[in-house]
Amino acid sequence: MVETMATQSVLLEVPAAGFNGDLARAEKEVARLTAQCKDHPTDLQGKVRLAYRMFHRASLTGKLADLEPVEAAILQTILQFGPKEDLCLLKANLDFRLHRLAEARRDLEMAPLLPGRFDARVLFADLAFQEGQYEAARLELEKLIDENPTWDTVARLAHWHSKLGDPAQADALYEQAEEDLSAKQMLSYAWLELQRGMLDFNHGRYPEAWAHYRRAEAGYPGHWHTAEHFAEMHAAEGNFAEAESILKEVIARTSKPEIQQALGELYLFTDRAEQAQPWFDSALAAYLESVRRGDVHYLHHLADFYAEARLEPAEALKWAEQDMKMRPNFSTQSVMALALFRNGRVPEALQYIGLVLDAGNRDAATYAFASELHEAAGETGKSAEFAELALQKNPKFRSFRIHH
Amino acid sequence: MADHNDPNAVNHIFSDIDYTPADLYDLFGWPTNESRNVVLALTFASAPAAGVLDTDLLYRLLVTSHPRVAWPASGEISVESVLGYFDAVKDKYLGELKTAEIRVTVQTPSRVLVKFIGFPCGDFSKEVDVNTVVEIPTPDRQTIKAFIGGRDDAFFNDLTGFFRSINYAPQFYHVPHTMTEARELPIPKTLLELEGNDLFNYREDMPKWGFTQPDGTTPKLDLPPGPWTWNGDRFKKDANGNFRFVYDGSDCRAGQNCNAIVFELPHSFITPQTEQNRLVNAWGESWVLKAAHKIESIPDDPSWLNHPWKVIREKELDDELRKYKLVDTDGQPFADAALSEREDDRQLGANNFWLGPHFIKRLAHLGWGFGPSISALGLACSFDHDNSPVSVYKTYDLVATAFPKVAKTLFQQLNMPDDSWNPKGLPIPLRRPFEIFIPNVCAVDMDTSGTWPFGRRLEDQVATRFLSMFLDMEAEFQGKKYHIDLLGDQALWDSAPIVPKTPPNPLHNDKAFLDSFPYLAEPWPEKW
Repeated sequence: MVETMATQSVLLEVPAAGFNGDLARAEKEVARLTAQCKDHPTDLQGKVRLAYRMFHRASLTGKLADLEPVEAAILQTILQFGPKEDLCLLKANLDFRLHRLAEARRDLEMAPLLPGRFDARVLFADLAFQEGQYEAARLELEKLIDENPTWDTVARLAHWHSKLGDPAQADALYEQAEEDLSAKQMLSYAWLELQRGMLDFNHGRYPEAWAHYRRAEAGYPGHWHTAEHFAEMHAAEGNFAEAESILKEVIARTSKPEIQQALGELYLFTDRAEQAQPWFDSALAAYLESVRRGDVHYLHHLADFYAEARLEPAEALKWAEQDMKMRPNFSTQSVMALALFRNGRVPEALQYIGLVLDAGNRDAATYAFASELHEAAGETGKSAEFAELALQKNPKFRSFRIHH
Repeated sequence: MADHNDPNAVNHIFSDIDYTPADLYDLFGWPTNESRNVVLALTFASAPAAGVLDTDLLYRLLVTSHPRVAWPASGEISVESVLGYFDAVKDKYLGELKTAEIRVTVQTPSRVLVKFIGFPCGDFSKEVDVNTVVEIPTPDRQTIKAFIGGRDDAFFNDLTGFFRSINYAPQFYHVPHTMTEARELPIPKTLLELEGNDLFNYREDMPKWGFTQPDGTTPKLDLPPGPWTWNGDRFKKDANGNFRFVYDGSDCRAGQNCNAIVFELPHSFITPQTEQNRLVNAWGESWVLKAAHKIESIPDDPSWLNHPWKVIREKELDDELRKYKLVDTDGQPFADAALSEREDDRQLGANNFWLGPHFIKRLAHLGWGFGPSISALGLACSFDHDNSPVSVYKTYDLVATAFPKVAKTLFQQLNMPDDSWNPKGLPIPLRRPFEIFIPNVCAVDMDTSGTWPFGRRLEDQVATRFLSMFLDMEAEFQGKKYHIDLLGDQALWDSAPIVPKTPPNPLHNDKAFLDSFPYLAEPWPEKW
């Protein structure tokens, strides 16, 4: 029977594959490639695919422990075949993820032509940003976008603007990045929606933030990263029980110590200090174990932990100094300012918060902290100015927030 | 259209890119039912599986019908005239030509919605099950046969030989997608192995090198450090004085499947003026749903600045299409893979007139490689390679300097092997390469059998016919004028100083085609 033409096709409700589907596929693919590489031990292409898929799987789980076999696989393949561009690029991305910036640079220089490749130049821009060379990072990103406006490069420029520039421009760029994505890239789409949601959250626009977070969930259901943001939203709106439940679920799935710390901070925020301690103990143990292994990924978290969660000013300062030495950017400078403040070194703290503001960071949290510092320095006028700026930026800045 | 693994964005040859159902393979088209009907068959990668479709994909078969237009016999052969032809095509396709469309959207992995848009009887649609032959009645009481589902891949081709002939590194070496300079290496294209071209010449110790295996792997080597060039001066010969063929005639797609969208349409459904409009042109497109429209629609902003053809296309989009991104197009065999070099931004379908000047330069580049090979075998060549004794790597910046070398290749009429292509004995001019590849459409001449280049039948060995463009059609072999199937004639290879003595590509598909709709053979059991 002939049916009348609809002006638009009505897509039937097909559940999005989402996180669980992706993770299952990643596991299956890793298993398949592992077997294939065993059967074909000299198959370089198979080994490179395996390393990439293992990295993808680790990105999905969010477990740092899943990155260890990735590094081992990359190093073993490099040992067997030499520093191939795609392997060096993957290693550089892995090191960057773990805050090993100097190593990331060395990785990119292992293959002679790699530094000039587009993907490597993108990573160099990331490194510049982490090392406090903000203008250089921005200019390079704009140049890269002119050459080839890939969604992730546009998203990086959006991130730049979200931290140091114009939030409206940041949102427009995130939206532009989304436009380039296909339905095969829902994980990336969800991530972009989370970033847009965070922009709204950081300005106190909670309904808009919710809309983005829900779109992230609808597009890519079941991701713990989205759940983390849902938890923050609930807590910010006073739904602490819901936030607590979700955070526990995320912890069960990922074991991430920073989420354990966040749960502890939620308990502190709601005057349940005793309930916070086991979570703090667990988070701290994981941080220290990481440092004991020689990792640097949690230096920032340790500084923050001792400055906020469980006050030990000297420890906070120690870790803040180490982190800032590796990554001299507004984020580490902000924690350095806090650590100094906890140690009673207010003038020095003011210098560091000045660096953060000079970089262009205009977060409500930064303004609020600047207000607190000026108050401590007896500069009540300036303190009031910054307090007002904080309120203008985000009238709800005193709500609970997770340190992402 | 023989177009596996292109454009580069969906090219599964690269290790870090996944297999995708947006990769179009071929477009076949030929008349049936005594020229009253036309079959159009678009094949594509069988992902997630043969007979299972991807709900994020949308496929389009664009169809026009218009009178046969012949290049005037006294027409001037010049750069200006061919560029004028490209402009005329542009004006026609952007101007007066009304293009109808069959659009297939995947509702579930086993059910699709087929829409017929812009046909004379009006728009209508039908939901159909996958893997089933269905008959769709039209508003004007005609019947369309449809099949959407899994089939044996109808393309039979020595793909590895083709890649060897163009020194395409990713087929033989691990080449990351980012290494854009390591695709077609700067070594002369050739049909005969080059002495000392160790990067691509056949290896006795690795006979499966570059051939995709049943388990899905392709034995490849580690790409050695550059420079990746060739400094030799001769073709390779063995102790018996035979050249080594870069092809071996094997069917690299044997035992492999595709998914297919097949329609058998009455010509009168496409145009009411069937007597006047004897050509049916078609091309295929694959589109993937945009991420934002997995959930909701967001209006697009067209990019006006760098891609005018994208602007034109944006204007044509309806609300549904705006939710999708164009990924791949398919028209003529090898137009995309060989001539457009698989570039992502050259997926233009019928609108490839913009690439006309590039095609001339590209064909000249190929001619410098294949031409001397053909001459070395004692065959007459349509390309003017200055009697070069060996293939040459040469590229052109200007159309004007490329054109004189490739003029004959572009403008010669391609002889057919016999008269079976023209069953009615009508005065239908033979086709010329420049009008075959631009526009990039499958042009079915309803008064012919539809064999390439008058369409494309399933049994056509188009890869070998593509190579025949470089033969001089005025020359003779065994008393007969050269023709497009000459390179498929075993007798030619038997008498040539070459090993292996085989046509470059298999002569037949690995599975017999069906005598009735949907004509493509049943799929094989999936191996992986």
